[in-house]
Amino acid sequence: MQSIIILSILVLLAPVIGGIVYGIERKVKARMQNRMGPSIWQPFYDFMKLADKRLIMVHSTHAFLGIMHFVSIWVAVAVLIFGGDLILVIFLHLLSTALLIMGGFSTRSIFSHIGANRSAISILAYEPVLIIIAVSVYAVNGSFQISSIFQHDPLLYKMPLAFIALLLILPIKLKKSPFDVAEAHQEIAGGAEIEYSGIFFEALYTAKWLDYIFVYALVFLFGGSNYLLGAGLVIGTFFYVNALDNSSARVDYRQMLKFSYFVALPVAFISLLITLFN
Amino acid sequence: MLELKKFRKKSPWILHFNAGGCNGCDIEILACLAPKYDIERFGMINTGNPKQSDILLITGPVTKRTRERLVEVYNQMPEPKVVVCCGSCASTGGIFRGMYNIEGGVDQFIPVDVYVAGCACRPEQIIDGVVVALGILEEKTKDIEKTIRLANEPVTEDGQVNRRKMPAEYNIEKTV
Repeated sequence: MQSIIILSILVLLAPVIGGIVYGIERKVKARMQNRMGPSIWQPFYDFMKLADKRLIMVHSTHAFLGIMHFVSIWVAVAVLIFGGDLILVIFLHLLSTALLIMGGFSTRSIFSHIGANRSAISILAYEPVLIIIAVSVYAVNGSFQISSIFQHDPLLYKMPLAFIALLLILPIKLKKSPFDVAEAHQEIAGGAEIEYSGIFFEALYTAKWLDYIFVYALVFLFGGSNYLLGAGLVIGTFFYVNALDNSSARVDYRQMLKFSYFVALPVAFISLLITLFN
Repeated sequence: MLELKKFRKKSPWILHFNAGGCNGCDIEILACLAPKYDIERFGMINTGNPKQSDILLITGPVTKRTRERLVEVYNQMPEPKVVVCCGSCASTGGIFRGMYNIEGGVDQFIPVDVYVAGCACRPEQIIDGVVVALGILEEKTKDIEKTIRLANEPVTEDGQVNRRKMPAEYNIEKTV
C-alpha cells in the first residue's frame, strides 16, 4: 500500500522531475560550451511565461492532438513507473509520437509537414531496436513485466550489447544531434511543434520533459535490482547524450536510417541471439 | 495564487528577422548567443518561430519583397510582444535609404518599441536594447490586463460605432 502511494507521487511529480532534468541539461550543455548557461529553474520560468501568453489556436483538432500527446506520454511514464508491461510502455510511447505526427500533418504549414514526416522516419529508426531490446528482456527474465526486472540481477551483465544498442538510438529518440532531423531548429524551426503556441506549446514542452523521464527510466531498468548501478548508468548516459549533442553535426535522415539499420539494429539482434542461445 | 508576472521577464524568447540587410547586425546577434556574451543565461532563446516568441529582433532596411513577410511575421506573434530594431538600417533605412528597392525603416510598417543604433550595432548594445524591451514587455502586459471604461458616449457616424474615435480612459483601481 505504501509503495503504491510513493509510486503515485512519483508519477504525479514526473513532469517536475523532468523539468529539473531539462534545466540541469541546459546548464551542463552551456558549461560544456564554456558558457554560463541559464539557471536550473529556467524550464519552469518558460512554463510560467507560456501560460501567460495570449491564445492562438490553428484549429481545435490540432490543439487537441497536442494535449493528447502530453497525456499519452504521461500515461506511458505512469505504466513504466508502476512496473507494467514493457511492450505496452513502448507502444504507448509510440502512440504519443503518432499523435504528435497527426497534429503536425493537420495544419497547412509546410514546416509542420516536414517535421511530422521526419518524426515518422525517426520512429522507423528507433522503434525496431526498442522492440528487440524488450524481447531480449523477455528472453532473460521470462516476463515482459517491468516489476520482474527489479527482482533479478542487473540486465547490464546479461545483455551488455542491448545496452549499447540503446545508447546508439537514444539520440534519435531524444531528438539530439547528430540525429535531430525531426526538430532541427535551424532548418525547420521545431518541426511538428512549429504551429503550437501559448498554452498548447506548453503541453508539448512538458511532454519533452516527460520524454526525458521515460528514456532515463528505460536506462535505469538495466540496473535491475542494483539501484546504485541503475543510477550510475542514468548519469553516465546523461553525460554521454549531452557530450554527443555538443560535439556532432546533424546528419540527414537517410544517414540516420542507415546508421540505425546497419549498426544499431544488428547490435540489438546479435544481443537477442546471444540471450536466446544462452 | 501564482504570480505569473514575475516569470514573464525571465524567459524572453527571441525571433530574429532579417528584413534585407547586409548580415552585419545578424552576426552581432549571433555573437550575443556565443560564449562571450551568452544571453542564454538570461533565459533568452533564439527560437526562429514567431508563434512561440516574445521579442522580434529586426535587422536591415525593409525592402519591397520583405515588407509583407515582416507584417505577416509580426501578426503571427501572440501578445504580449515587443519589437526591437537592431542597427541604423532597421531604424531609419541607413545607407540604403532612397534606393529603388528599399522602403525605409521598420517603423513605417509595424510599431517599434526600441531602436538600437549602430552600424553594425554592438552586442552590448543589443543586450541593453533587449533589457529595455523587457521593461516595455512588462508595461504592455499590464496594459492588456487593464480594464477600460468609456469616458463618454461613443462617436457614431452613419449610424455605426466608430471604434477609432472611441474616447476611453484607463482606470484600474477604481473599477475593479
